[in-house]
Amino acid sequence: MPNTPQLSPQEEQEKLLEEALNVVKTQAFQMKRCLDKGRLMDGLKHASTMLGELRTSLLSPKSYYECYMAISDELRHLEMYLVDEFQKGRKVADLYELVQYAGNIVPRLYLLITVGTVYIKSNELSRKDILKDLVEMCRGVQHPLRGLFLRNYLLQCTKNVLPDAVEDQSTESSGGESGTVMDSVDFIQLNFAEMNKLWVRMQHQGHSRDRERRENERRELRILVGTNLVRLSQLECIDIDKFKQSVLPGVLEQVVNCKDAIAQEYLMECVIQVFPDDFHLQSLSSFLRACAELHPNVNVKNIIIALIDRLASFAQSEEGSGIPSDIQLFDIFSQQISQVIQNRPDMPPEDIVSLQVALINLALKCYPDKVDYVDKVLETTEDIFNRLNLDHVEHGSPVSKELMRLMKIPVDTYNNILTVLELQHFGPLFEYFDYKGRQLMSCHIINNALENETMIPAQENVDAILNIVNCMVQDQNDQPDEPDDPEDFAEEQGLMGRFIHLLQSEDPNQQFLILNTGRKHFGAGGDKRIKFTLPPIVFAAYRLAIRYKQLSEEDENWEKKCQKIFQFCHQTIGALIKAEQAEIPLRLFLQGSLVAGQIGFENSETVAYEFLSQAFSIYEDEISDSKAQLAAITLIIGTLEQMSCFGEENQQPLFTQCALAASKLLKKPDQCRGVSVSSHLFWSGFSQATQGEFHDGKRVSDCLKKGVKIANQCMDSSVQVQLFVEVLNHYIFFFEKGCEQISVQVLNQIISKIRELLPNLESNEETEQINKHFKNTLEHLQLKLDNAESAEQYAGLVL
Amino acid sequence: MSFFGFGQSAEVSIVLDGQENRRTAEIKTEDGKREKYFLYFDGETVSGNVNIALKKKGSKLEHQGIKIEFIGQIELYYDRGNHHEFTSLVKELVRPGELTHDVSLNFEFSQVEKPYESYTGANVRLRYFLRVTIVKRLSDVVKEQDIVVHTLSQYPELNSSIKMEVGIEDCLHIEFEYNKSKYHLKDVIVGKIYFLLVRIKIKHMELQVIKRETTGTGIFALEGPNTFNENETIAKYEIMDGAPVRGESIPIRLFLSGYELTPTMKDINKKFSVRYYLNLVLVDEEERRYFKQQEITIFRRADKVRKNYQAALSHHNPSLLSDGGGTGKSQYQNSDEDTPKEKDGEAVNNDQR
Repeated sequence: MPNTPQLSPQEEQEKLLEEALNVVKTQAFQMKRCLDKGRLMDGLKHASTMLGELRTSLLSPKSYYECYMAISDELRHLEMYLVDEFQKGRKVADLYELVQYAGNIVPRLYLLITVGTVYIKSNELSRKDILKDLVEMCRGVQHPLRGLFLRNYLLQCTKNVLPDAVEDQSTESSGGESGTVMDSVDFIQLNFAEMNKLWVRMQHQGHSRDRERRENERRELRILVGTNLVRLSQLECIDIDKFKQSVLPGVLEQVVNCKDAIAQEYLMECVIQVFPDDFHLQSLSSFLRACAELHPNVNVKNIIIALIDRLASFAQSEEGSGIPSDIQLFDIFSQQISQVIQNRPDMPPEDIVSLQVALINLALKCYPDKVDYVDKVLETTEDIFNRLNLDHVEHGSPVSKELMRLMKIPVDTYNNILTVLELQHFGPLFEYFDYKGRQLMSCHIINNALENETMIPAQENVDAILNIVNCMVQDQNDQPDEPDDPEDFAEEQGLMGRFIHLLQSEDPNQQFLILNTGRKHFGAGGDKRIKFTLPPIVFAAYRLAIRYKQLSEEDENWEKKCQKIFQFCHQTIGALIKAEQAEIPLRLFLQGSLVAGQIGFENSETVAYEFLSQAFSIYEDEISDSKAQLAAITLIIGTLEQMSCFGEENQQPLFTQCALAASKLLKKPDQCRGVSVSSHLFWSGFSQATQGEFHDGKRVSDCLKKGVKIANQCMDSSVQVQLFVEVLNHYIFFFEKGCEQISVQVLNQIISKIRELLPNLESNEETEQINKHFKNTLEHLQLKLDNAESAEQYAGLVL
Repeated sequence: MSFFGFGQSAEVSIVLDGQENRRTAEIKTEDGKREKYFLYFDGETVSGNVNIALKKKGSKLEHQGIKIEFIGQIELYYDRGNHHEFTSLVKELVRPGELTHDVSLNFEFSQVEKPYESYTGANVRLRYFLRVTIVKRLSDVVKEQDIVVHTLSQYPELNSSIKMEVGIEDCLHIEFEYNKSKYHLKDVIVGKIYFLLVRIKIKHMELQVIKRETTGTGIFALEGPNTFNENETIAKYEIMDGAPVRGESIPIRLFLSGYELTPTMKDINKKFSVRYYLNLVLVDEEERRYFKQQEITIFRRADKVRKNYQAALSHHNPSLLSDGGGTGKSQYQNSDEDTPKEKDGEAVNNDQR
């Protein structure tokens, strides 16, 4: 048995189309041959046979389209021939009747349209009547696909002959183009209504399992229907009044009444796209009213958003010299949108919010100065949430995403948090987010402030902002049990820390209030947060103190205020200590001590002493790790070395205490280093007596000797050598500064000691480093020896 | 006409008066050929000359008289022997005697009644002709000359539209309207189908013009043994493609002049009738056909200069369907015959059932 290959549906289509196109080609050829020979009747017969291919039900819309295109190409020949013929004086009316004898309706109507167009061009009869006749006769084709294409052909053919004049141009005597633009409107609208009906009807034909395919096919065909609207928009004599009174109502009525989601969605979009902006502006209400009546499945928000976007960009474009003042664009949209929402109880909240997004965009683009418009949108949104009983917008949900979009718009548009704060409903609406949502939004707001370096100049502002971004400031009732990823948390709090530096007022008194407010908010942030947030507060307070000092001539109370600031700082640092922080408070105290010392207000010595002693207490009570201890004592020594405010009775205990603390460190290497560092106090520390550096060589030398001694006690030879090299460096430092107690011999001793020990070390990376350090040190000395100026001082040095 | 060896002794021809200006009309012969004859109307005088030309100069033609007849007759094809003459007028042209030279004899049937229209149908023919007979002893010399008669009608004073609502219960209800019930031969049928209910999947709809020729003696009986009905579909005209939905109205416009129609003839001399019907046919996707026939009257109107084309365009007169109540309404095969007024029964017929 011969094996007949089964064709796939696609191959089947290709085959059918090919066959159809072959017929078209052959018949078109015959038609043209007959026309060339002047045999019109035979030509028409071939045309009719060719058109018979459009009677098929077998082709898919796509294939049918190709077939249609091929045929309408060929029909153009016929039309051109007929136009020629009739310019030579043939009567068209006969032909108009003649083609109506064709038994099959589809070929008949294609021919009728072709001849009708010629008829119109010949100006024999009122074009209005012919157009009306054509569009009415097309009712005979009720098959959706065939009807759509037929009527599309009608639109195509009449494209250039539609009357487009305000008044009828024809005269009894000379003919001329008859009809008015309103005739064209009627014609197109009728055709549009019929096409739309056919298009909608496609949806309801065939099996329900093919629905998806059918909807796709419908979408492929939509342009055919849309062409009607394009034609309407191309009529030049349609002015705003005609558009408002005749064109738009007709179109909208059709769209609304067809009750088909696909059609409504596409056609509304079409209306927005094809007609000019100023028409839309003048007819907003009716358009939006129609939107409210659309099928529940229509994504009405997309339509409204498209319109808003269009008008918003129109308002901003050059030609759109703004929105005419008599059109309350915002109010109209606002009202109509709420109507739409009311009409659609099933509308998902995210869609409602995205409508508000569009509205807020409109407000911002068209009325950039009107903050209250934006606020009104937020208020409406809040009301809607209330009505929907939606008090917890879960992060990641569509509505949360939309709400986030909504809330970010004013932030990103104003780029000024202070303007955002003017929105009364921003804060309340913010509360609808869940924890995660609030957190993201808060970060966004803070980031925005940071990027734009928006200064927050008043206590109330600070209060307001920190209330909004509260979830970054304090623990929340709804926050998840497991803590955030520590890195993320640190990053978030880091933002907050940076933000604190934006809390700045020109007025120092206000600034103090700001810091107090900040302190109050951040103070409640819990142990984990305050280590990020309180230090910047303290630093800001120190900065404020310095400003008071600068303003000392203007403000007689400056000293008291400074005192108050330091009390504030003391207390704030205390809060950190309570949170079991040690190193940060230590540093803050030291910094405070430095600042107090520098400013030198009444009592500043006491304050500085108090702060230093607090630092000491922390050192003694809170810091137990040996490395941290060393670092802390080094800092304390460094701070003390910088300070000049202490009198003898305060300074000496502190110095002694430092040296003592250094020598009491637990590990020998630490002791060695601490003691070595403390030597600097006695050299470059400030002496009240001389009003300069101490230069107490003996105590320096004692310290360093002690250092050498401790180094000698080290068991680990590698560490020992390292310590010797370090001590050597200290020696050299003081030697160069001219400390008399240190001689070349001392240096030689240590150098030879190191030389002795170094070769015994295991060769490893550490050793290499030590070696390098030592070599560098020697090189430095060598340079000094080689230098004529210093050679004398270094005489006798053995390298 | 001579079967004997003599041959035709004289050539007879009939020349009608005003022949050069007289209109002609075509009529089909029985075998379908078209022939042209001079056209006369009812009451018109038929006059002219009979020319008799002798074959041989100087010979004599002896005859028993020469006459001319005007005959209108109906020929039923199945009854060839019997021609039914409904009109037969005779004029004696020459008394019995001898013709010695060619003669031209004038004749006149003044204001002849020609009650019927010439017609050639499937089973019947109605013709008018002039017959000249030279009566002779053995075989007459006969010459016949056909003419065509058209009966003209006045534009009917009453010409109401045909409007009707028909349907199959819960399946299909339509209302249709043809703008007139009487159409002239070059008329345009304009109408509209309005779909009130559509529950079937209609594939297409067509309008047919059906000619029904009824012949036979039993013409008055519903079914007579000698009655022949011959239906011919003159026009088959697709008026709708695809399936309409409720509320759709489909225009009809059918130009009649392109089809071969005759006037409606009713009970012509008790021998035959020719009637015309508009048959509206709906075909569904299963190829079931639903149809409804309506008789229309076709008449011949005196030719005017040219029909007003513009009028033909205004086919979609909205008033056409404004009132559906004027006509009967009933259901298809509704068992109780509650519509006695309309014998026809206003139902769509479905010939599959």
